[in-house]
Amino acid sequence: MNRSLRDPVLLPAVLLVWAAVLLFVLYPLARLLFLTFWNGGPSLDAVAGLVRDWTNRAALVNSLVLAALVGVAGTALGFMFALLTVRANLPSWLRRAIDAVVLLPLISPPFTAAIALIFALGPRGLISYHVFGLTKVNIYGLSGTLLSETLTYFPVAYLTLKAVVANIDPNLEDSAFSLGARRWRVFRTVTLPLATPGVANAFLLVSAASLADFATPLILAGTKFPVLPTQAFLQITGLYDMRGGAALCFLLLVPALAIFIGQRRWIERRGGSFVTVTGKVGAATRVKSLSPPAIVVLGVVCGLVVLLVLICYLLILAASLVRGLGADNTLSFAHYAHVFSGGLKAVRDTLIIATLCMPLGGLFAVVLGFLVARTQFPGRRALEFAAMMNYALPGTIVGIAYLLAFNDPPLALTGTAFILVVCYVFRYSLAGTRATTAVLAQVDPSIEEASASLGARRDVTFRRIVLPLVRPALLAGMTVLFIRAMTAISATIFLVSLNWSLVTVRILEGITNLELGQASAFSMLVIALVYLAVVIASLAMRRLNAGSLGQAGALLGG
Amino acid sequence: MDALVKVLVAVSVIFTMTAAPASAADTVNVYTAWPESLSQPIFKAYTAKTGVAINFIRLSTGELVARATAEKNNPRADVIWGAPGDGFAAAKEAGIIEPYKSPTWGQIPAELKDRDGYYTAVSKNTLVFMSNAKLLKEKNLKPPTSWNDLLDPAYKGQIQTADARTSGTALTRMLSIYYAFGKDEEKAFDYQKKLHKNVQVYTKSGGGCTVPAGLGQTTVCIAHMPDAMEAKKKGYDMVVTFPKEGVAAVIEGIALVKGAKNRDAATKFIDWTFSKDMQDLLDKNDVYMLPTLPGASIDASVQALMKEAKLLPVDLEWVGKNRKRLVERWVSETIKE
Repeated sequence: MNRSLRDPVLLPAVLLVWAAVLLFVLYPLARLLFLTFWNGGPSLDAVAGLVRDWTNRAALVNSLVLAALVGVAGTALGFMFALLTVRANLPSWLRRAIDAVVLLPLISPPFTAAIALIFALGPRGLISYHVFGLTKVNIYGLSGTLLSETLTYFPVAYLTLKAVVANIDPNLEDSAFSLGARRWRVFRTVTLPLATPGVANAFLLVSAASLADFATPLILAGTKFPVLPTQAFLQITGLYDMRGGAALCFLLLVPALAIFIGQRRWIERRGGSFVTVTGKVGAATRVKSLSPPAIVVLGVVCGLVVLLVLICYLLILAASLVRGLGADNTLSFAHYAHVFSGGLKAVRDTLIIATLCMPLGGLFAVVLGFLVARTQFPGRRALEFAAMMNYALPGTIVGIAYLLAFNDPPLALTGTAFILVVCYVFRYSLAGTRATTAVLAQVDPSIEEASASLGARRDVTFRRIVLPLVRPALLAGMTVLFIRAMTAISATIFLVSLNWSLVTVRILEGITNLELGQASAFSMLVIALVYLAVVIASLAMRRLNAGSLGQAGALLGG
Repeated sequence: MDALVKVLVAVSVIFTMTAAPASAADTVNVYTAWPESLSQPIFKAYTAKTGVAINFIRLSTGELVARATAEKNNPRADVIWGAPGDGFAAAKEAGIIEPYKSPTWGQIPAELKDRDGYYTAVSKNTLVFMSNAKLLKEKNLKPPTSWNDLLDPAYKGQIQTADARTSGTALTRMLSIYYAFGKDEEKAFDYQKKLHKNVQVYTKSGGGCTVPAGLGQTTVCIAHMPDAMEAKKKGYDMVVTFPKEGVAAVIEGIALVKGAKNRDAATKFIDWTFSKDMQDLLDKNDVYMLPTLPGASIDASVQALMKEAKLLPVDLEWVGKNRKRLVERWVSETIKE
């Protein structure tokens, strides 16, 4: 696939993507770097005091440990759910029900998930105290943070892995069976290796999300388990030390870089062995690679997770429907009345912004993923890395960097919706990009070469061949973007303005200001809207997708 | 790819058209750390009286200062309203606020304002112990009335209060302890280390322990007065008490943003906040803070409560100079276990 830059379509595409990344990722970060490490000359004085602080040293280690644990647990859980829903021949209503429940933590604002978990498993929690009668539970610290982040981020792994597992051609497994291999051996030597790029992806996405998450530790980690994003947040907002906070955040880039490079190496060493979508696929056969006991084990584990998530969110629903949970448990719609009066502007603004993010971010993700996976040009790796930087950094710092970069003319974007949209697009497109590269890793390049040899231009090939093939990835990317735009808070708390407000900001306000009922009602509305969007997206995609790549089209459970 | 370019161009055009700057002669843009429930009724009252619209965003104090600092060269806010004194001390140091003295500035007691007029207290706030009545009964405990009561092993894992690095409430707690122990910093930190053994978790927002205490996730919550009164009003069965050694009285202030685009409207609004008209609203709207203008009305229930409280005056200048050191010491000594 050696294409030179003389290609009339490739060059503008590369330039356009580079320009966007330069302006909306590298320029703001450069401004922040300058602020942090320049004090009349290059200077490390912002860092000096930080290293002496024991909490910051502990935070670095804790962050890495937590990210690794959440990555492993989240990926494992996501893979189990993917196997169960794709491979266990479950009735479709059950698959959909599972999808609907496990998406809950992902599509609700992070604070909500953590708070719900305290309600369920904390001191005097519904499960811990009222069911099991435990009085000395401790949810604050590593255990609670790990549990909450795993529940929040494993759906990312699940979504990615579902597409990957669905794309594995059962004929390959059939061949192994017909050669006399037993189920476990087929799983180990055929299914698992074919899923490896997806698993690596999932691990990267989940770990990176955990590394950057500040909301969950803010509520659950306490002072005994400090992590870097929270420390950075406290440094900025508690000690009024923006330079120190920024320095702590830049420290986070190191592990993010390590994960990224390691994962790239690993995928590439295994090269083209994942190609399962070629022009020659025969009729799909029934999947046989899961034994009944395996299905039972998967079912029990996944069932318990589903139950826990359900209980957590029923508690939030309850909080939104009573006057004051635990104080006055009479049924009341007052909180919803507030949402649809005083809160309506925030709802409308959020919806406009989320809707604008989807096509822009989805297209950006697919084009970037395609450029990275299928073309050669100088600085390709650098582009890929630069594009994921906003995702790896804690939102607080991205928000501050944007504020620094885009407050003054000629780039005075603060106060507009545009700054919120670009913030989301360049922060949350990674899922779509990763999904695109993962799907493309499974697609034989000879399909595109066939198109080219038939005389199609590069852009025609992209539109007619690549886009339809990566539709599931595009859909996943757009859905994740919409979800994030509806639920993210850390970066945007600095970017909301007098003109453009966001629901998540209202939720955070509710949680910190005793308005638990209002926060819950807003959360329920967000969840309902996101569900609606997911359903519409998958219906639209099913229509568009009719006949082409049917299996992968089931990405979001129909 | 052409389609992509077209889409991008179209979208950027739409955005440039919808992006309207928020400045007009009859508008004041406010950054506030007060919850909407407290600030909005007051802003609405001003709009009803004068026709001037108040646009506001609610941010935590730290976020507010960080944001206003980043916006320094092109300020988006005109007024910072309802943030604790230490936030204003930081804002003054960052050079984002400018001195402004209202006509009634002279009547505000000296300990409630910056000497040069950079910021002035709109209201006075204080610390309380709020305890879950049911849990106290279950554990056979009397509501705590002394800082030392909280060291009882019966409270192990039963106290929540704010992290010192989150401004406001936690600082009020640290100052209360410092003044209650006769300004002896060693004694104060020794006490906090002991208290730490009983703390279940330090919340990141000042009032973050209120609902957990209401729901029985913890027995005692140390927070500001408005949090406690709100919780009681919501129906949580809470007992509100004060330590007999005393609690610090801290300020919630207002300041004019340097280079404010709507300076005239902003100063008029600030003048109004120090009129009896607005100061009475603190009582009428159940803000549960004390007004700073002498002669403004105070709610009877707050007055009754305040009779039990021993309010210790705070030296604003000392706090401004020492806050960072105190917090850093808290991190390196108190919670290191």
